[in-house]
Amino acid sequence: MISTRNSMKTAISPRPKKSGSGAVKLLLRLSAPYTFQLILACVCVVIVNAAFLVQPLLLQRVIDHFLIGGAAEHGLDSILGLALLYLLVTAAGSGFAYLQALIVGKVGQSLIHDLRVRVFGIIERLPLSFLDRTSSGRLITRATNDTAEVSDLYTDVIISLVKDVLLLIGIIYAMLMLSPQLTLVSFTVIPVIVFLVWFIKNKIKKNFFHMKHYIGQINGFIAESVAGMRVIQIFRAEKEKEEQFLKLNGDYFRTTLIQVRLNSILKPASDMFQSLAIAILVWFSIGQISGGMLQIGVLYAFTTYIRQFFAPISDLADKYTSIQSALVSTERIDELIREEERLEQPESGIAVERLDGTIEFRHVWFAYKDTDWVLKDVSFVIRKGQTAAFIGETGAGKTTIISLINGFYQVQKGEILIDGVNVNDIRLDDLRRNISVVLQDVFLFSGTIRENITLGDEITEGTVQEALRASCAIEFVQDYPAGINEPVTERGATLSAGQRQLISFARAIAHDPAIFVLDEATANIDTRTEKLIQQAIDNVARGRTTLIIAHRLSTIAGADLIIAMKNGRVAESGPPRRLLEREGYYARLLRESRAHVAGS
Amino acid sequence: MKSSILLRFFKARRTDYLIGFSFMFAASFIQTLFPKVLGHAVDLMKVSGFDTRQVQLQVLWMVLIAAGVFTCTFLWRNIIIKSARNLECYLREELVRHYLKLSPSFYNSRKTGDLIAYAINDISAVRMTFGPATAMSFNGIVICCSSIYFMFATVDPRLTLATLAPLPFIIVIMLFSSRKVQTRFRIVQQQFGAVSGKVQENISGIRVIKAYVQERSEMERFSGLSSRMKQANLDLIRVSAALPAMIEFGFAVCFVINLVYGSRLVMRGVISVGDFVAFNGYLSLIISPIVSIGKIVTTIQRGIASLGRLYEVLRVEPDIKDTPQAVEVQPEGEVRLRNLTFCYDGSDTPALRNLSLSLPKGHSLGIIGRTGSGKSTLASLLFRFYNVEPGQISLDGRDINDYRVETLRGGMGYVPQDSFVFAATVKDNIAFFKDGYSEAEVRQAAESALIADSISEFPDGYDTLLGERGVNLSGGQKQRLAIARALISDPAILILDDALSAVDSVTEGQILANLRQVRAGKTNILISHRISSIKEADEIIVLDKGVIAERGTHEQLLTKGGLYFDIYTEQHEDGH
Repeated sequence: MISTRNSMKTAISPRPKKSGSGAVKLLLRLSAPYTFQLILACVCVVIVNAAFLVQPLLLQRVIDHFLIGGAAEHGLDSILGLALLYLLVTAAGSGFAYLQALIVGKVGQSLIHDLRVRVFGIIERLPLSFLDRTSSGRLITRATNDTAEVSDLYTDVIISLVKDVLLLIGIIYAMLMLSPQLTLVSFTVIPVIVFLVWFIKNKIKKNFFHMKHYIGQINGFIAESVAGMRVIQIFRAEKEKEEQFLKLNGDYFRTTLIQVRLNSILKPASDMFQSLAIAILVWFSIGQISGGMLQIGVLYAFTTYIRQFFAPISDLADKYTSIQSALVSTERIDELIREEERLEQPESGIAVERLDGTIEFRHVWFAYKDTDWVLKDVSFVIRKGQTAAFIGETGAGKTTIISLINGFYQVQKGEILIDGVNVNDIRLDDLRRNISVVLQDVFLFSGTIRENITLGDEITEGTVQEALRASCAIEFVQDYPAGINEPVTERGATLSAGQRQLISFARAIAHDPAIFVLDEATANIDTRTEKLIQQAIDNVARGRTTLIIAHRLSTIAGADLIIAMKNGRVAESGPPRRLLEREGYYARLLRESRAHVAGS
Repeated sequence: MKSSILLRFFKARRTDYLIGFSFMFAASFIQTLFPKVLGHAVDLMKVSGFDTRQVQLQVLWMVLIAAGVFTCTFLWRNIIIKSARNLECYLREELVRHYLKLSPSFYNSRKTGDLIAYAINDISAVRMTFGPATAMSFNGIVICCSSIYFMFATVDPRLTLATLAPLPFIIVIMLFSSRKVQTRFRIVQQQFGAVSGKVQENISGIRVIKAYVQERSEMERFSGLSSRMKQANLDLIRVSAALPAMIEFGFAVCFVINLVYGSRLVMRGVISVGDFVAFNGYLSLIISPIVSIGKIVTTIQRGIASLGRLYEVLRVEPDIKDTPQAVEVQPEGEVRLRNLTFCYDGSDTPALRNLSLSLPKGHSLGIIGRTGSGKSTLASLLFRFYNVEPGQISLDGRDINDYRVETLRGGMGYVPQDSFVFAATVKDNIAFFKDGYSEAEVRQAAESALIADSISEFPDGYDTLLGERGVNLSGGQKQRLAIARALISDPAILILDDALSAVDSVTEGQILANLRQVRAGKTNILISHRISSIKEADEIIVLDKGVIAERGTHEQLLTKGGLYFDIYTEQHEDGH
C-alpha cells in the first residue's frame, strides 16, 4: 500500500491534457442564462482597472507639474483637486470591485445550485448497473467538489482572468503613453519575471499534486489503522505499522521540502527583479532626465507600474492550473450529464394501481457484465399469494433474481412477467411501489424510527402502529424514551443488526406491498431476535406474494415453493415435500444441516 | 512527554531558529532601505546638471539591496518554513506512535474521522501557526517598525502622524469584518457538510430509495439544502468582498493625506521631492503586512485551538502498560479465572460477574450466550485489552498483569467478531506484515482456514491486493482469512470470537474439523451463539447477563434441560 517513488509517478496520473470540447460546451450552456450579469461584471472590471491605472498618473502629475515644475494652482487644477480626484477614483474603483464581486458571486452560486440539483437528480435516477460500476466516493465528489470547482471557475477564474489580462494590457498601454523608451527598458526585466513566475509556479503545482497524493495516503493509512487497531494490537504489528508510517511520512516530508525550496525562490526572486527593474530604469533615465527628455514623475509612475505588473502575472499562473483542474471537473460532470439519456424513466410504461403478484421468469438470461452469465435460462412461476424460498450457495444468483423483479436491471434474454405483463412495460414507479424489499444490509436514514418507516410518505398513524406490531419491532421500540420518535443514525449504529432488520420489516409492511421480498440476514443475530424475525416474516407473508432468499431452514419449512439455485440455473423447484421425496439438492442440504446442528 | 513535545522540538532547533530569525530581521530591514535610496536618487536628479556619478551610486545601492533582500529571504524561508514542515512531520509521527499504543477503550469513544483530522488538519494548522504565521508577523513587525521609523526620522514626524491616522480605523474594521467572515464561513462549511451528507446517504441507500420510490421527495429535500447553502455562500460573499474594497479605500485616504499635506511641505521646503517619493514608498511597503493582520490572527487562533486538541489526545495515557515486575514469558495454555468481575468505564452494571473456571492446557472451551451476555468482553479481557484486578485471571499460574503485554499477546491468537482486512496483499494480511513467516507457513494457515481455494482463484494468488483497490472479499472469506492470520503463529491459546458466523454450515463443519487437527494439544476458546460451533468443546459455559448460567459438556447440558437446551431447541427446530 505504500508507493515507492516510481510507483507514485504512475499512481498520479498525468492531468488530462485534452480540455474536452464537451466541458467547454457545458460551460457555455450553463452560463447562457446569466449572459447579461456576466457582461455587467465585465463592465465593472473595466472600470476597476481604469481606476487602478489612473492612480499613478495622478501622482505623476502632482510631482512633475506642481512639485518640481512649480506650476501655479488654479481651482480644481491644483494638488487638492488632484487629491480629491484620486480619492474619487479609488472610491469608484473599490465600489465597482465590490459590485462586481456581488454580481459574480450571485451568478456563481445560482449556477452551482442549479448544477448541483441537476447532478443529484441524475444520481437519483441512474440505473443500478451504472452505480455498481462507480464508487460512491466518486459520485459524492461529482455533486459537491466538482460542482464547486465549476462555480469557482466563474467566480474566481474567468472574471479575474479577464481582469488580469485587461490590467496587463492597460499597464502596457499606460507605460507606452508615458514613455516608449522607458517601456522598452522595463521590458528587459519583465520577461524574466514572467518566465520565472510561470516556470516555478508550474513546478510548485506539480509538486503540490505529489504532496496531495501522500497526504491522501497518510489519511488512508490512519483511517485503516484506526479501524483495524484491535487487529494490529492483537497480532502485535505495531512496529511494522509504525515503520510503514514513518516511510510514508518521510516521503511526504521530502516532497514538502521541494515545495519549501521553490516557494523560497519564487517570491523573493520576483521582488528582486522588481527592484532591479527600478534600478535599471533609474540608470537609464539618468541621461534622459539630465537631457530634459524625461520627467521624474514619469519615472516614479513607472516604478509603480512595474510593481503592479507582478500581481496579475502571478495570478495568471495560478489561474492556468485552476482552469485545468476545473475543466477536468467540468468534463467529469459532463460525463455524468451525458448519462441523462440512459436514466430510469419512472413515468413511462403501463400504469398499474395494484399488482396481483404473480411472477413468472421465462428463460431468463442475465449478466452484469458482457457474457458472464449470472442467470442462465431461469424459468419459474410464483403465483399470487405464494411464499417462495430461494436456496443455494453464495453466488448462485439468488439476489440477482430479486434485483431483476424490482426492475433494477434489464435482462438480456428471455422475459420476466408480473401479472402477465413484461416488467419493462410496467411503469417503474408503480412496479416498485408494489414491491417491498428488505435487504440483508439494512439501510437506515438519519432521522427518527418513524421517518424510517414512513420514508416521508403519507401513512396513517394506525398503519404505522400496525406495521410496528406486525414486524415485532414494537418489542424494542417501546423501550425507547421517545418511542417511535427515537432518532437513529445513518447505518443505524445504535441498533443491532436484528433490530435494524425489524425496522425495515415495519417499513415494508407500512407500505403495504403486493410483493414482499426478503434477503434474509444470517450473521450476528441472536436466537431471540431470530424468532421475532421469523414471526415478522409470517405476518408479512400473509396474503402477499413473498420471495425469500433463505439462509435458515426454518424459513424454508413454511414456503409453498422452493427454488434451489446452482451456478445460475434452477437446480430444482417445487413444494418442499415433493423436493424431499426427490432426494435432490434440497434433501441433501436439509440432512447436512440437521446432522450438523444435532451432532448426531 | 506532554506539553514538552513542542518545547523539545524548538530546543533541539534553537540555533536554526536563531539563524533564521536573524536573516529574517536582516531581510526586512534591508528592504526598508529601498524607498530611501530611491528618494535620494530623485532628489539628486531633480536639479538640472546633476552629478550622474552620484545617481549611479544610488543605482548600485538599489542592486545591492535587491540582492541582499533576496539572499536573506531565501535563507530564512528555507530555515524557518522548513522547520515548520519538520515540526508537522514530527508531530504526526508522535501522534501515530501514540495511536498505536492506545487501548480499545480510547477507540470506543472516538470517531475515526476525528482521529484522522488530528493527524492531518490540526497538525497542519499548528504548522501554519509556527511557520508562515510566525514568519509573517515577525517580518511584518520589522518592516512596519523600520518603515515608520524612517518616515518619522528622515521625512517628517507630523506628516507621518497625519498620514498614518486612518491606520487604526483600518485595522479595527479589518479585524471586525474578518471575524464576521469567519463565522459566515463556518456556516457555509456546515451547509456543505449537510449537502455532501445527503448525497452520501442517498448513494448508500439508493436501493431503498429506488425500491420505495423516494427519488422525487429526496430531490426536493436536496434542493432545499442546496439553496440554503447558496444563501449561506451569498451571505459570506457580501462580507468577504467588502473587506478588500474597504481596505483599499482606507489606504487611499492615507495616500491622499500624504498627497495634500506632503506636497504642501515640499512646496514650503520642509521636505524634498525625494522625501515625498520615499514616503509614498514606505506607505506602500506597510500595506501588505497590515492587510495580512487579520489572516495571521485567524491562523494563530486556529493553530492554538488545534494544538489544544492535539495535547488533549497526546495526554491520554494508554490504559494497558507493563508493570515494573512484568516478565517476558509467553503463556503456555493454562487459563484460570477466579471470581472475575468486570465493569466497563461509565457503566454501573458489570459486564461479567464472578466468573470462575479453570481450563487446563490443551483443552477447549466453548462459550455460548445471547448478544450482550459478555462473551466478547471475556475474550477482550483474556487478551488484556482492558485491565482487571490482580488475581482474577491467571495464565500458567501467573497473574495476567505480570506478563509483558507484548509476550502475553504473542502467545495468543484471537479472531475478533468483525474480521478486518487491510488494503494489502493476501500474504501480508495473513502474515501480518511480518517477514518471519515462510511461504509454506502462509499456505498452511490458509489451507487450515479453508481459504486457500479462494486465494488460488484470485488473479495474483497470495500476492493479490485486497480491499478498496483490490479484490473485495465476502463476509465468509474475510472471516476465514482472519482465522488463517491467527493460525499462522500457532499460538498456545486461540480465541475465536464468533468467527464463523458468516460461513455456511458445511464449511463451518470442515473448518472446525481442521482446527481440531491443527490445534490438538493447544488451548482453544470458541465463542459463538450457534451450538454447532461449540458443541465439541471439552467444556461449555453458557453466559447469561455476565454470569455463568450453566456449564458442562454438550451432552450434560442437553440433559440438564436449561438455557442451553432452550437455545439448542430453538436452533434445532429449524431442521424439523
